[in-house]
Amino acid sequence: MSHCHTKVDQPHASEILPKLETPRVLSKVEELVRRYPVPKAALLPVLWVAQETLGWLPQEAIRWAAGKCKVSPVHAYGVSLFYTMYKKEPTGRFFVQICQNVSCHILGAEGIIAHAEKTLGVSSHGGTTEDGLFTLLRVECLGACGNGPVLQINDDFATDVVDGRLAMPEGVALTPERFDRIAAWCRKRAAELPVEPSRDVLGGLFETHGHPGAVGSTNEPQKPGYAPAPPVLGLAAARTEDGKVKLTWRAAPESAQLHLETRAGTGDFSALATIPGKDKDWTGDLSVGTEVRILAQSGERRAKPSNVVKVEA
Amino acid sequence: MATLTVTQNFGKGAADISVYRSLGGYASLGPRLFDLSQFELIDLVTRSGLRGRGGAGFPTGMKWSFVPRNTPKPVYLVVNADEGEPGTFKDHVLMLEDPHRLIEGMIACGWALGVRTAYIYVRGEFLKAIETLNAALKQAYEAGILGENILGSGYSLDIYVHRGAGAYICGEETALINSLEGYKGQPRLKPPFPAVSGAWASPTCVNNVETLMALPWILEHGPAAYSALGTPKSGGTKVFSVSGDVKRPGVYEIPLGTPLLEFLESPEWCQGVLGTLKGVIPGGSSSPVLTAEESAKANMDYESLASLKSMLGSGAVIAFNDTRSAVGMLASLTRFYAHESCGQCTPCREGTGYADRILKAIVRGEGRDGDLDTMLDLAANFSYTTICPLAIADAWPIENFIGKFRSEFDALLASNAGHADSRVTSDFRPGAFW
Amino acid sequence: MSNSYNWPVLPTSDSKLVTIVVDGVEAQVPEGTNLVEALKTIGIETPHFCYHPDLPVAGNCRQCMVETEGPRGMALSIACYTPVRAGMKVATDKSSDKVRTARKAVMEFQLANHPLDCPICDKAGECTLQENYMAADRQPSRMREEIGKRYKGSPDHRHLDSKGQDRGGKHVDLGPAVVLDEERCILCDRCVRFMRDVAGSEQLYIASRGDHSFISTFPDQPLDHEYDLNVTDVCPVGALTGKHFRFQQRVWLLGKTETVDPTDGLGANITVEHHDGHAWRIMPRRNPEVNKSWIANSSRLAYLRLSEDRLTAGLFGRSEVPLAQAVSRLGELVRGARKVALVASGHLTLEDNAALLAWAQILGPRAEVFGGSWLWVGSPDGIARSGDPVPNRNGLKLLGIPDSLDELRARVGEFDVLVVVGNDLWTANASKAASLEKIPERIALSSWSDATVQASTLAIGIRAWAEVRGTMVNVAGRIQLLNAAPILPSPDLEPAWQVLSAAGKLGWTSELDAFRFAQSRIPSLVGLTYRTIGPQGRNLAGAAT
Repeated sequence: MSHCHTKVDQPHASEILPKLETPRVLSKVEELVRRYPVPKAALLPVLWVAQETLGWLPQEAIRWAAGKCKVSPVHAYGVSLFYTMYKKEPTGRFFVQICQNVSCHILGAEGIIAHAEKTLGVSSHGGTTEDGLFTLLRVECLGACGNGPVLQINDDFATDVVDGRLAMPEGVALTPERFDRIAAWCRKRAAELPVEPSRDVLGGLFETHGHPGAVGSTNEPQKPGYAPAPPVLGLAAARTEDGKVKLTWRAAPESAQLHLETRAGTGDFSALATIPGKDKDWTGDLSVGTEVRILAQSGERRAKPSNVVKVEA
Repeated sequence: MATLTVTQNFGKGAADISVYRSLGGYASLGPRLFDLSQFELIDLVTRSGLRGRGGAGFPTGMKWSFVPRNTPKPVYLVVNADEGEPGTFKDHVLMLEDPHRLIEGMIACGWALGVRTAYIYVRGEFLKAIETLNAALKQAYEAGILGENILGSGYSLDIYVHRGAGAYICGEETALINSLEGYKGQPRLKPPFPAVSGAWASPTCVNNVETLMALPWILEHGPAAYSALGTPKSGGTKVFSVSGDVKRPGVYEIPLGTPLLEFLESPEWCQGVLGTLKGVIPGGSSSPVLTAEESAKANMDYESLASLKSMLGSGAVIAFNDTRSAVGMLASLTRFYAHESCGQCTPCREGTGYADRILKAIVRGEGRDGDLDTMLDLAANFSYTTICPLAIADAWPIENFIGKFRSEFDALLASNAGHADSRVTSDFRPGAFW
Repeated sequence: MSNSYNWPVLPTSDSKLVTIVVDGVEAQVPEGTNLVEALKTIGIETPHFCYHPDLPVAGNCRQCMVETEGPRGMALSIACYTPVRAGMKVATDKSSDKVRTARKAVMEFQLANHPLDCPICDKAGECTLQENYMAADRQPSRMREEIGKRYKGSPDHRHLDSKGQDRGGKHVDLGPAVVLDEERCILCDRCVRFMRDVAGSEQLYIASRGDHSFISTFPDQPLDHEYDLNVTDVCPVGALTGKHFRFQQRVWLLGKTETVDPTDGLGANITVEHHDGHAWRIMPRRNPEVNKSWIANSSRLAYLRLSEDRLTAGLFGRSEVPLAQAVSRLGELVRGARKVALVASGHLTLEDNAALLAWAQILGPRAEVFGGSWLWVGSPDGIARSGDPVPNRNGLKLLGIPDSLDELRARVGEFDVLVVVGNDLWTANASKAASLEKIPERIALSSWSDATVQASTLAIGIRAWAEVRGTMVNVAGRIQLLNAAPILPSPDLEPAWQVLSAAGKLGWTSELDAFRFAQSRIPSLVGLTYRTIGPQGRNLAGAAT
């Protein structure tokens, strides 16, 4: 929880690792690591997954995440303390954050925070109610200033309860009465549901093929086919006065090599010439009916072929 | 009704791909985009006058032109959706309402720069927006709009969402890149700039959500139509997020150059100020505050606000009336910047906290004569000596709130009986921390 | 992160010089280097905390501000990250008010949360913060009690004292060698960069953010690395201190003697710091071509042995005899011998070994010189150790002394006197050395009462490496100078060359005589003097192994 100011009792690794080393968590981690060119980049999302699983981030979970992302444990520790949304200590079931920044401040956030402190009976600097239901924290801008003063419960914005659900209707700001309604809603939910259902903190992670090519290659050249060179566009052929054929085109990158390819009839294309990308036209002898196309190549990377033009009489 | 280029799908359920398509979405993913060469597309964006909508207002076409063409390394596109500036919530709403427009804009930007893999760095608090984006991305993948060979064009692009974890500074582009790479979000020394060496030491383009979402409209209607919407120097429209003492706070898209008071009073937009206007913060918490008189002269474009020594910034308009204490507002701002300083370089790390503690003492009634001058001096000293502009973003509110509402601060100082005590350092009680 | 790529470009002897304008005066400086280094070459010191020539540039302390000319006129920039370009205009604190103000301001910020208790700080006297304060700031504090200072330590160490003041973070035990005082840290990031980018083991990190950032290891995991004491050197303030030296001496009392590391073949350049006849610590001495700014912990702690278990007299059998008596007995034994085996040592200087050779030359065929070591040889770690525990192995090679200890073992029956000079054979390999005990008269010259001394029939104390002047040749063929620190455990001790000269009646009066003899054996030494070798050493042609 934001910045932790006191020593927190840490659970032993043997209590934590069985919860993290489950197929569900591991498949998420695998997907996350695959999305970046280096595993280190997955550190933030993997810490999120650990927090989702455990409810907070004990030090052994940070060490576990470091191992998954191949970074040193102290790196993961330092990073996790830098970001305020990683909870360094357990919180109540409903983690209530009330914005105190400028937009909410001028609309009376202090009054609401004072009201919340009074009704919940805890400090707004991270106090947790005795029943373990609420942790109250005053925070800086939550990014919903149009509804200010605004409140977030766990990961959801809320300024009111509408139709039995937490909601932030447009233009509706938090008031002490609405806060009481929200608190009542939470208590009711706690009475109905014994455990708060786990929420995907990465917002619906879905399986992808990850970062194709260039894996782990931050300082290595790009692999062929990872991101092909831009293609040649608008290839056109015209006869010049002396009977030769002049090809013109657009869009060839100056750094690329252009491969002119021709074919007669229906065979395969064969290479005719290779010219530098800074050339913007080409003139030569081509027989009538020959089909021409151009491939741009940048380093090892080949673009898709240009349009095919047929040499007319 | 003004022309809308970004928010036209609001309230229409465009987060679903079929709705978005029925509203003309993804129409650019054909000859309109893929028959443009990289140069032509960058040139088109340059001619549209589109400027970065994240805060700095850097011309987008020029930013793209800095990305090298012949690099052997991959080029990355990173969307800056780490919207953390107090008062700003436009990107939040944009992502919730129209995520597919962002995807379409990213494909256009990706095509212009030869990007294969792109990331959307979303502020950690916006879980709902992340869910919306992920659902939209999934739909786009299923429709063949993302992944290998987009709609048969030969162009391939992958987009991933990266959830931030609570750090305002990650809105700075190099800090955002560090955060994406799995480090603390601390800004990097420049040069090299991200366009040359950004994420994983590869060329990287970092663009704001709103900037990219303007691209589909520009592709459809042409650059001239876009730039014609604004003023000659500030082309197009801009999405503003309005909060504070207005009757209808919210997100509004208006043509650049609209007079500020007209915007606040218009029945179409904010519907007027609650109470008597005392001042306006026109472009996010760090932009210098305007008094009511200055607000009357201000137009909402880059040049007009610059002439008033303020800035358009991220387009977060915070209006406040004469019942609000300038001291309290400044106190909440200095507390914010002290809380969000990344702690990397000295003047900002120590200076923002120092200024905040002085102001806290003043608010507690323990201020003394000269404290305001000390704060102004500190603010001047931590501006322009740091790696990134966060310290300046703290200095501007300090200088402008104290400069423009000084009598309120002086009144609070005078309430301290010992306000005239000299500050003799030898009086200090010695202790481990002294 | 970017600063991993930003290794500073340092001036070299063949850097191209370009003209820049510093404070309105033209100056020639090496091109492409950063301004801190460039200005240093023309005698202008730029105050800084985070910059270190052997670490990547972090640019976070902002103390080294200068003004340079940019597209919008003169503007502040940090000297450590501004490369020199021909024709650039630079304004330092001598000519620019803006620079003076900026540096002063940064000092105020640095001190805003730093304790002002220099009198009880162990770093006082060699603290960069103190030095820069005296140079750039000296302004009265504007801090008041109501404003207060930040608690700067880890939350794990925080507690409120009886007066309700934030306390904690004092003398945090980071690991076997290093202690951290968290409130002194100015977050310059040097130790983090050292561990990550030089030692290659990321064990330190700046956690949290803003003015409550703190330096930390992973909780309850010690900082433990062969090079971890270097973080106490790079620490510009008293935050990181070594347990071996913490609160032992005030640093301004210490005399400094430049010498080289005796524990390794690389010969890392070091300074022995001494006071009142004792060595108190060893500090690395920067030599870009040998050890940069680093030394291993074992090299750094080598001084502890200088006062442990020293042999300060002669030993005849089990009884102590005066040194002079032992030396004359050595001469008699050798001259009366049928055949003498003289064992040279790579742990001693060229001069000591030259004396052995000179004596052997006088003794003629009755004496034979052996050399080498039975110590295990490791591999280089790429920082400041070659892995070879013998510092002067190359010197022996140049003198033509073969690596022939095993040959000596095979031919042990031929000899009736063995003289081992500063080569602890019995510790290196007791079982191999045991076969040498067949030689009836075994004489050891040694600085310590080591196993070889125990196994000898006559032992003579000699000066140790920190107490002699001489030269050694490192694994890269670089000749380097050792100097004598005034820390003799007994005033009677002499260097080995002098003992040998007295016993062998060589008539040498100073180590220069010995060096001259070495020059007669080693052509590449001709023309060199101690002065031309200098504090940084000289590469010898064709001497690398």
